[in-house]
Amino acid sequence: MSSKTTFIGAVEIGTSKITALVGEYTGREIAIIGCGESTSRGVIKGSVVDFRAATECTHNALEIAERDANERIDHVYLAQTGGHLEGFYNEASVNVKAADNMIEMDDIRTVCDLAKAKDLPLGRMVVHNIRRPFRVDGRLVPTSPENLVGQKLEVGYWTVHGQEQRLADNIHVIRGFNLEVRELVLSSLASGHMVTSMEERQNGVLAIDIGAGTTDYVLYRNGAPHTTGVLAVGGAHFTNDLSIGLRLTEGQAEKLKLRFGRAVSQARDKGEKVWLDGNFAIGDRQFSRHAIESVTAARAWELLDVVKRRLGHAFSPEACAGGVVLTGGAAKMPALVECASKVFGTSARLGEAPTWVNENLRDPGYHTALGILYYGVSSLSDNAAATRRKGGFLHNVSRLFAPT
Amino acid sequence: MSKDTHTMPETRSWREIPQEVRPRAMSREGRRRLAMGVTRAILGVLAAGTVAWGAWEMAAVLRENPDSMPSAAKSDRVRRLVLVTDGVLDQNWLARTLAIPQDATLMGLDLNELRLRVLADAQVSSAAIARNFPDRLTVRISERSPVARLMAQAAGGTPAMLLVSRDGVAFAGKGFDPAMEATLPWLDGVRLVRSGGSFVPIGGMRAVSDLLGAAKLEAENLYRSWQVISMARLASDGEIEVRTRDGMRVVFGTREDYLRQIARLDLLVDDSTDPTRPLREVNLALGSQVPVAYGKAAPALSEPPVNTAVAPGSSNPVIAFPAFSSLRADTHREL
Repeated sequence: MSSKTTFIGAVEIGTSKITALVGEYTGREIAIIGCGESTSRGVIKGSVVDFRAATECTHNALEIAERDANERIDHVYLAQTGGHLEGFYNEASVNVKAADNMIEMDDIRTVCDLAKAKDLPLGRMVVHNIRRPFRVDGRLVPTSPENLVGQKLEVGYWTVHGQEQRLADNIHVIRGFNLEVRELVLSSLASGHMVTSMEERQNGVLAIDIGAGTTDYVLYRNGAPHTTGVLAVGGAHFTNDLSIGLRLTEGQAEKLKLRFGRAVSQARDKGEKVWLDGNFAIGDRQFSRHAIESVTAARAWELLDVVKRRLGHAFSPEACAGGVVLTGGAAKMPALVECASKVFGTSARLGEAPTWVNENLRDPGYHTALGILYYGVSSLSDNAAATRRKGGFLHNVSRLFAPT
Repeated sequence: MSKDTHTMPETRSWREIPQEVRPRAMSREGRRRLAMGVTRAILGVLAAGTVAWGAWEMAAVLRENPDSMPSAAKSDRVRRLVLVTDGVLDQNWLARTLAIPQDATLMGLDLNELRLRVLADAQVSSAAIARNFPDRLTVRISERSPVARLMAQAAGGTPAMLLVSRDGVAFAGKGFDPAMEATLPWLDGVRLVRSGGSFVPIGGMRAVSDLLGAAKLEAENLYRSWQVISMARLASDGEIEVRTRDGMRVVFGTREDYLRQIARLDLLVDDSTDPTRPLREVNLALGSQVPVAYGKAAPALSEPPVNTAVAPGSSNPVIAFPAFSSLRADTHREL
């Protein structure tokens, strides 16, 4: 455990806003001491398309966060999303080497390396290797199988990979602030970890983070991420549909969506009208409430249905006792929980941050950034523990007698 | 199944993406952070270099010529004594007072003891002593200035003149100009008490010093004629008696402003132009009422006093009220 205080930055470059949080990590605990937010420009569906504009907005958020914290960030954990991210599952098995069939560390390393070894298409790079639980002779082992007895050791990895240029763009935006990117964290993993409990993850839960430009989802089983995915569809598409369907500007459509949009149509009276602005000014118009709700409900159903189809056989209501947890800015749409419950055929709820999170950061829009911070602390703790293990007295003594 | 790393495909991780960014691609804040980082690195290297160079130099000195190091333990003997003073004491006095042995080294000196030796002379009010390597000892002192003098005689000893400073400390003045000493008035009515090698400071000296200072500054002609200052009634009545060289007694009160009293005395002396009626006593301690007494003129020059009230059968002067009919008004106008 390091006694030095580290100031961790958690950055989410989203389609509608860029969020930066500063956490003060003392080696024992983390305190969120700064928050910066900036309207996003130059980012479409989670990918940087205008480097200068995206850099400007991100740096603005970082500056605000540093000013708020009154400290300088040491390194950054960066959220990663976008339609370019894909995942696949690969597994491997080895026969246990030892004569007494006791699994050794070497067996574990071998099977893990084999499971992770998979050729990627040109220009693709691994972002995450998410390990699923080990199996020893078909028996599920959630933790390390070292010293267990068995003949066959199996493990599988869910590998998330993305396009090299898009990953590089995101990293270079942060490097433009002269900050090191310590880790890329999948948005779905970050937000999913914040809104689900350990018990839910053990029993199976699906976390869906609906942002403005993308929808990230992660399915947990047996306490670990099983499948992740990203759809390049988000809250902005609800607005776009309204804009096209009702012949409105994007601003007007956004306003209608926020005021009258619902994920499940409720209006029974097709003649019920609502005003665009409600101030009777020139240009103020009336729209059918039923029409608005129909558009948003259809899109919400479609979005969740696509997620369900993407998950395929991985998702079943029986294997997902924790139900569906919705988060992200667009998840605040009324009746989205009801819609998700219908689509997935299981219980659904709106995700909430843990109780230790400050009231100002409890909005679903901050769950990803909070999750990244949590992820950063976990990785720092793991590194510190690994360093302790490596640098221990017994380790040093054993090295003296180790064969060269 | 054994691991064969040669047959495993190489998967590329995002960590292979180079994070170096040209400064031109950075934002202003990024460039500022970069510049600060570079500056810190340069300063760190410079500091480390300086420390390394210093260590190397020191090692070289120790290796080749250790004696050249200005080691505190090997400091030279004291060759020079430097006196910095605001008064009249000189180098000889310092050498006599400190009495440093010939072979004493600078670090071997006990500065506190030397300071006590210097302060043992009551003429010195404060002292500071400092070592200046390699061989110089600097003594900075502040001296007392005399405002009066007195004659003291120990039992069975010969009388000796002492000077008295403003804070009442009596000391044997060394190095003062005799002509200056001769201008100082004598103190009377004072009881000196010994304390160790010196005397207990004379109480009430501050009031006397204020009177003398005011007289010297505002009416030097009067001050020059003052011969004896008696403090006999200072503690009991708050009065200071001054006797002039021509025999006049002037009583000053400590409760009233000295300048005002001196101004009245000056006026009286100026008005008293009649050689047949010289002033003999003036009491300025009673406020605006100033009793004066006139004496007789010298026999060769004197004539019978006209206005002086003389008691029958007495040659002593008698106090008469008022000395001048217009004194009160004039005094007020003057002051």
